[in-house]
Amino acid sequence: MDRKRMIAQAVAQPSMTTRVNNDVAASSLERDAELMLRVRAGDQASFGLLLERHRGPVIHFLFRMVQNQAVAEELAQEAFLRVYRSRATYEPTAKFTTWLFRIATHLALNWIRDGRNEKSQQSLDQESADGATRQVADRGRTVEEELVYQARLNEVRQAIELLPSKQRAAVMMHKYEELEYSQIANVLTCSESAVKSLLFRAYESLRSRLAHMA
Amino acid sequence: MRECPIEDGSGAELILAYVAGTLDPEREAAFEQHMRNCQNCRELAAAQRDVWSALDHWTPVPVSQDFDEKLFRRIAAEERSTWWQRIWRANWSWRPALPVAAACAVLAAFVLLKTPDSAPAASVPAQPQVQIDQVEHALDDIDMLKTLGVEVPAEQTKSTERI
Repeated sequence: MDRKRMIAQAVAQPSMTTRVNNDVAASSLERDAELMLRVRAGDQASFGLLLERHRGPVIHFLFRMVQNQAVAEELAQEAFLRVYRSRATYEPTAKFTTWLFRIATHLALNWIRDGRNEKSQQSLDQESADGATRQVADRGRTVEEELVYQARLNEVRQAIELLPSKQRAAVMMHKYEELEYSQIANVLTCSESAVKSLLFRAYESLRSRLAHMA
Repeated sequence: MRECPIEDGSGAELILAYVAGTLDPEREAAFEQHMRNCQNCRELAAAQRDVWSALDHWTPVPVSQDFDEKLFRRIAAEERSTWWQRIWRANWSWRPALPVAAACAVLAAFVLLKTPDSAPAASVPAQPQVQIDQVEHALDDIDMLKTLGVEVPAEQTKSTERI
């Protein structure tokens, strides 16, 4: 179904909530959980809205994890597909974002573990160049500024890539997605103190690797 | 803030929160006050701020325009798929155990189909059939030879003793 049509349908039909079980106190649920409950009730348009809200953060998170735009989008597709497949059994017991990031992190960690990043390493430079070009194309930098920017960006990417995968995931969620310790712990299925320990060690490594950039 | 947070073990968390800007104003002010007199905390916070701004360099790249279209195409294809394809695709937690289960099933089938009769009987060394008459006859022969003064070979004597 066409996404725009689905979104328009969702916006035009606020009464869609009536499909959701009335016993559920929808007003007290966060927006995402409410949308997911609508998806569970058969409203595909709400899935379009969820996708609209989370597509960017999930792809950016995955991109920083696997450092390859094409792979990141492929993994993000799989993550959203899993969300859609699980709609029938969805229960709003945890934050939707936590659940979504758990799926995404699981996919990224598996991809890294399977060593598939080595296969795509060849294309990483090209990908990096493409990505960087897209990133800075509209910023009006001079060629020199652009070169400096690229050098710094590569150092950051390499420093991140050298982190163990769980530390990398923790830093990405903490720094870029601004998730709380408890959420990160939930995503990584470990304790809050373990998350803090992961983060402290990761930032310590980054401080030593990126010290010269100050 | 009297004690140095680095010394009492809360420093790392405090500095992360300070640099991330998630400290409440009261704690932020107290920590800034502390940093004026603590070089360690000042240096650590500055280093963390450098990392923070270095990471800010990594801005996200735009998402492909056909991302949603591809996803909805995959969803539509899934909904057209057969029931067994859906079951196979479902996130079964036991799916990784399938090869082991299949191996166990093959092993069980092999054990069940293999009848005990078909097993070759363990080879038992054939016991010599000893006839009482023959023994008696042999003993008589030996006695007779002894009486005649003929020497009986040692082997023959032993064999009769064994019997």
